Amino acid sequence: MQFRLKQRSVLPGFNLALGYTLLYMGLIVLIPLSAAFIKTTDLSWTEFWAIVTTPRVLASYQLTFGASFIAAMINTSAGLIIAWVLVRYSFPGKRLVDAMVDLPFALPTAVAGIALTALYAGNGWIGGVLALIGIKIAFTPLGVIVALVFISMPFVIRTVQPVLEDLEAEVEEAAACLGATRWQTFRWIIFPALRPALLTGFTLAFARCIGEYGSVIFIAGNLPMVSEITPLLIVTKLEQYDYRGATAIAVVMLVISFMLLLLINLLQWWSRRRHAA
Amino acid sequence: MSIAIRALSKRFGPFTALDNIDLDIQAGELVALLGPSGCGKTTLLRIIAGLENADAGQIQFNGEETAHRPVRERKVGFVFQHYALFQHMTVFENVAFGLRVRPRARRPGEAQIRAKVEELLGLIQLDWLADRYPSQLSGGQRQRIALARALAVEPQVLLLDEPFGALDTKVRKELRRWLRRLHDELHMTSVFVTHDQEEALEVADRIVVMNCGQIEQIGSPQEVYDAPATPFVYQFLGHINLFHGRAHSGWVRLGELRVQTPEYQNAESASATAYVRPHDIDLLREPEDGDTTIAAIVSRVHILGSLVRLELRQQADDELAEVEMTRDRYAADPLQVGDVVFAKPRQLRVFLNDGHSPELPVWLGDGDGI
Repeated sequence: MQFRLKQRSVLPGFNLALGYTLLYMGLIVLIPLSAAFIKTTDLSWTEFWAIVTTPRVLASYQLTFGASFIAAMINTSAGLIIAWVLVRYSFPGKRLVDAMVDLPFALPTAVAGIALTALYAGNGWIGGVLALIGIKIAFTPLGVIVALVFISMPFVIRTVQPVLEDLEAEVEEAAACLGATRWQTFRWIIFPALRPALLTGFTLAFARCIGEYGSVIFIAGNLPMVSEITPLLIVTKLEQYDYRGATAIAVVMLVISFMLLLLINLLQWWSRRRHAA
Repeated sequence: MSIAIRALSKRFGPFTALDNIDLDIQAGELVALLGPSGCGKTTLLRIIAGLENADAGQIQFNGEETAHRPVRERKVGFVFQHYALFQHMTVFENVAFGLRVRPRARRPGEAQIRAKVEELLGLIQLDWLADRYPSQLSGGQRQRIALARALAVEPQVLLLDEPFGALDTKVRKELRRWLRRLHDELHMTSVFVTHDQEEALEVADRIVVMNCGQIEQIGSPQEVYDAPATPFVYQFLGHINLFHGRAHSGWVRLGELRVQTPEYQNAESASATAYVRPHDIDLLREPEDGDTTIAAIVSRVHILGSLVRLELRQQADDELAEVEMTRDRYAADPLQVGDVVFAKPRQLRVFLNDGHSPELPVWLGDGDGI
């Protein structure tokens, strides 16, 4: 029996489009990433394991993934509120605010990092005030979170906005007629409708945070074991011509990131299936 | 529960949606709000539900003012034109929603909720769909689910906003009969909005005809059809022929036709319009004495199932008129295109064209499909 990948379809160009997709993914994603894997094969298992489990590296994983998760969570809730305001209310300057949402994307990350450091350092505008009540942000893990929140802000807003716009007001009115309070309407009607978009936004923000380097290194202070992120460790190793060590850490990061993203995608797929179209 | 509406007004910017509306709806009555789009009927319904606030006036449920009661405390069941079902919930959960969101003290137990939902799904004959999602249902099924959901909270009033407007003709006819039967079983005060005169005539106990934010007439389906109070009601309900003429001391002359109109005894050469239903015209082969007929030529014959519709061209002024008769009657004297006939209105109604009522078009289309 002949094995057929192709399904009959009215749309032409299946072969061409699939071929293009695979070539593109191969060139852009797969080849550079597999190079990292191939490079690590220079190391033996024991060498590899020794490099990726030193306390300093383990502390950096914890900081990178932990701070990214917290930043993505903060942006998920804040992004939901901002998207809600931008869709549901009209106020003077709304277009301006809407345009400002994308700024963290456009700004060079180093500029963002320097600006945030200046603001949150002990002698900065915000840092000075917080220092009075004993909170230090710059040069601590808190600073890492601040920088990550800044650069990953637009994702949730931009994924939730269109879904919220499509949500019929009638559905909320129906819930109100049935006796639901505003909170119950949000909890049981609006939130479930937004959940897939929120999850997508969260995933994008989380992925962006894990890979972030430029803005974080200025504000983090980069103290080993305390405020040093994994991407910085990789760069440090590269600067010391320790290419094998750098790729070993990179591979671990890649594997963890891929597994987390896969997990979130499965969750997404499962929640879509449950509310079958 | 009875509803009393007193001097209700609502404006949207410069647009007056409702202008000083007074209306009484008896307990257990099924009332249709009928009118063209933009006449304010949906706004009125939404104000009764509490989804919209009136600028002035009162709405009383059982004699009790409702202005301070928010939507969720009004105990109204509202059915939307586009169903507004909760897409991410099964049919069962949709219907159960109103029971689940009750304050803990009044919330029934899981077994009671299950029993109630099953009872309602049985009532709408869709119990076999309990585990489906709304997107897997047809339009007619969705609307019945929406109705069951509204009924689950045991509302005192059922409000339906163009409930069958998004459905195709066949399903629409089925559902409105079904709604009438359901109402006869439940005896719940119900108000439904429609622009479809046939729907209103068939389903409602009373019809409220609205136009431009005002009530034109309130009456039983037979009253509003047989004795329209205003030219608007005449043209909106059913087909109509217009004849223009002048009223003078108790008589109206419409071309060759002369009709006695004692109600306009004092009119002096006032511009007037006569309204005649297509089925209220007899067609004769010979003219009658006493100016009771209008000469015309048959210009078209349509055979529409049990009815025959003839289009006439008046000989005097070339204006068109429509006549409807049964197949049997047509068979007795099958008129052909080009035949000369004499049209004799059996029943007509004359309104004076005082400056207030706008000049109406000569021939008005049917009300459905507006």
